[in-house]
Amino acid sequence: MTKITYRNSSIAAIVLLFLLLSPLQNKIDLQRKQMGFEQRLLLMPGQITGSLILGGFKGLAADLLWLQVEELFHSGQSYKMLPILRSVTFLQPKFVTPWAVGGWHLSYNISVMVKDHPEQEKAWIQAGVDFLKEGISYNPERYDLYFELGWTFFNKVKNYAEAVKYLELACKFPRPDYIDDALAHAYEKNGQIDRAMETWKEIINSGNSFSPTAVRMLHNLKTYGSTIVPEKK
Amino acid sequence: METNEKPAALRIEGLTKIFHLGRNKNVTALDNLSLEIKEGEIFGLLGPNGSGKTTALKLILGLLFPTSGQIEILGRDHQDVEVKNDIGYLPENPYYYRYLTGPEILTFYGRIFGIKKENLEEKKEELLKLVGLYDKQHLPLKHFSKGMLERIGLAVALLNNPKFLILDEPTTGLDPIGSRETRNLLLNLQAAGKTILLSSHYLSEIEKVSNRVGILHQGKLLALGTTSELMTQWKAGDIEDLFIKVIEWSKQS
Amino acid sequence: MVKAIVIAKNTFQEALRMRSYQIILVFALLLLGSSQLFSFLTPVEQLKMIKDVSLSGIEFFSALMAILASMTALRSEFETNTISTLLSKPLKRSDFILGKFLGMALVTTLGVVIMSVVFIGLILFKQHSFEISLFSALFLIWAEMLVIIAITLAVAAFASTAFTLIFVFFLFLVGHLTSYGFSLSGEMKNPVLQVIIKFFYNIIPNFENFAIRDQVVVGGTIPITYLLKTFGYGIIYTAIALIVCLYFFRYREV
Repeated sequence: MTKITYRNSSIAAIVLLFLLLSPLQNKIDLQRKQMGFEQRLLLMPGQITGSLILGGFKGLAADLLWLQVEELFHSGQSYKMLPILRSVTFLQPKFVTPWAVGGWHLSYNISVMVKDHPEQEKAWIQAGVDFLKEGISYNPERYDLYFELGWTFFNKVKNYAEAVKYLELACKFPRPDYIDDALAHAYEKNGQIDRAMETWKEIINSGNSFSPTAVRMLHNLKTYGSTIVPEKK
Repeated sequence: METNEKPAALRIEGLTKIFHLGRNKNVTALDNLSLEIKEGEIFGLLGPNGSGKTTALKLILGLLFPTSGQIEILGRDHQDVEVKNDIGYLPENPYYYRYLTGPEILTFYGRIFGIKKENLEEKKEELLKLVGLYDKQHLPLKHFSKGMLERIGLAVALLNNPKFLILDEPTTGLDPIGSRETRNLLLNLQAAGKTILLSSHYLSEIEKVSNRVGILHQGKLLALGTTSELMTQWKAGDIEDLFIKVIEWSKQS
Repeated sequence: MVKAIVIAKNTFQEALRMRSYQIILVFALLLLGSSQLFSFLTPVEQLKMIKDVSLSGIEFFSALMAILASMTALRSEFETNTISTLLSKPLKRSDFILGKFLGMALVTTLGVVIMSVVFIGLILFKQHSFEISLFSALFLIWAEMLVIIAITLAVAAFASTAFTLIFVFFLFLVGHLTSYGFSLSGEMKNPVLQVIIKFFYNIIPNFENFAIRDQVVVGGTIPITYLLKTFGYGIIYTAIALIVCLYFFRYREV
């Protein structure tokens, strides 16, 4: 084979292989989109995190940023952690812990700091609710954030109808035992006594670890019309 | 041509090699070289440093590619990979994998030649004894002296029992005893029917073993023949005198 | 093919002896061990940290090993002139390159396996189970390394040591970013620019294909069809790089 023939056949082989590669890349891109991989780039100059992200190690960068969030919270600098929290959830939206903990920081810890200013307190609680809803949009197939949001509505916002809605959604997925108990309480608070009793019965029948509690709650409901035993006068 | 003339082990016709080193900077390392080496001959290629000796050997072995000209080894095109089964090559300043021992190097190259395992073990022992490295067989090559590397290189060159040996400066780094042993070995190999192409700038070494010599200077073959023919032709007293006269003539013309 | 295996075995042995290979492996194992230090995190967070650090570390250090070892495997043959002792034998240049590739693939596989065993041990210790999807991540890291080895050999066949190192590292970084560039190009109004970007997107190796870390560390599963497609991509790109390598090496003078 002469040098020119060899060169031409090499070029032909390379072109042919690249032509095979292109449709395969399209298929891979499509499947990545279906699996929820999105290309997210966070440019943070002057930080090591930036280089890690550029190197493609987004997960590691998210972890390091998450460590900073923890540190800032424990040192009482909650306001500083908000942009970093945003970065963590931006880089790894499928990592549920930052959404859950972030929602808690917003609705509980930060709102409590401004409790003397009711409008501001309400705004921070709502910020936590919105944050959790965004987290759910990225993680719709897990119980975690539905529970966090349901519990925030129950405990902080006192909107029991919304609490029931989200706790019911949480119960559609594999979950720990306490979720069903929380739902039963939400039904009760929302005036859906029959549904509350049904739920506690299901807890008892399933052998859930909250069965003893459920037995007690059911008894109280039947006897006193409430799960809380009234004080003896 | 005589009817009992031996066939050519090596035939080179019009071999030219030009190196392109940059814009308008070309170096002609070999200029229209033609020569034939007959089977069973020891041919010495002489020339000062930079004359094109190593270039010529590398072209023959397919390590460099000719700008023009043809090369045939044992009747076949020199670029045919299979022809290398019949060639043994000792490079100038041989260098091998440092962490291997002598036997391991021979095993490695033996496998490249496709020599069967049973035959290889016997061959290794024979060659190590031949080159005087049998008692150093546990030493990794990184501890070898220059002379020892030459000797293991020679063992590698003989591994495949080649018909045609190409040796580039084979006595570099050898002491006088080592050089004499190498010379005797070459004569024995010739007696066994091998063809040897030898390149060196040690004139007396070449004279003692070669049937014919060729003198290269600046890529051109200036003289070709037996040492006695050439010394008569150039009116030289000895080979050193011959060499100097040929080179000086070339510089003047 | 037999002779390629002889070259592969020798390449593998030479690479194992390389000090830089050994040092990189030690650093990698230290990094894996250090992920244990995050005991102040919750168990869920700690596990995620271990998985992220380990998988990122395995990918990075494997790439480092692959690039350095492959580059040295070829360049040292030129620099010490052992190449002339090989090519003067009945050895096809294609067998030589194939042997170098196989040897490098073997030594990199060994590195990935050692790091993976430590990683699996860590996870089993913490979690008492090991998800199949983590194996998928390790498998794709290995496949990515085959591409990197082939590209390094291709560049080392004609370029200097320094250029090879810089170029391949640069390509490794860029290869992780091409998807992002391509997704941005969808918002461009200039059709000519879009075509140019699409062209480069298809030429530059897309290493993000092999990155499934983000899904697997949070418990996601990866379909086998995706693994097959990506592995296929890796094999095709490896073949392209090896053809390029052979092209430059075939008529290279030594």
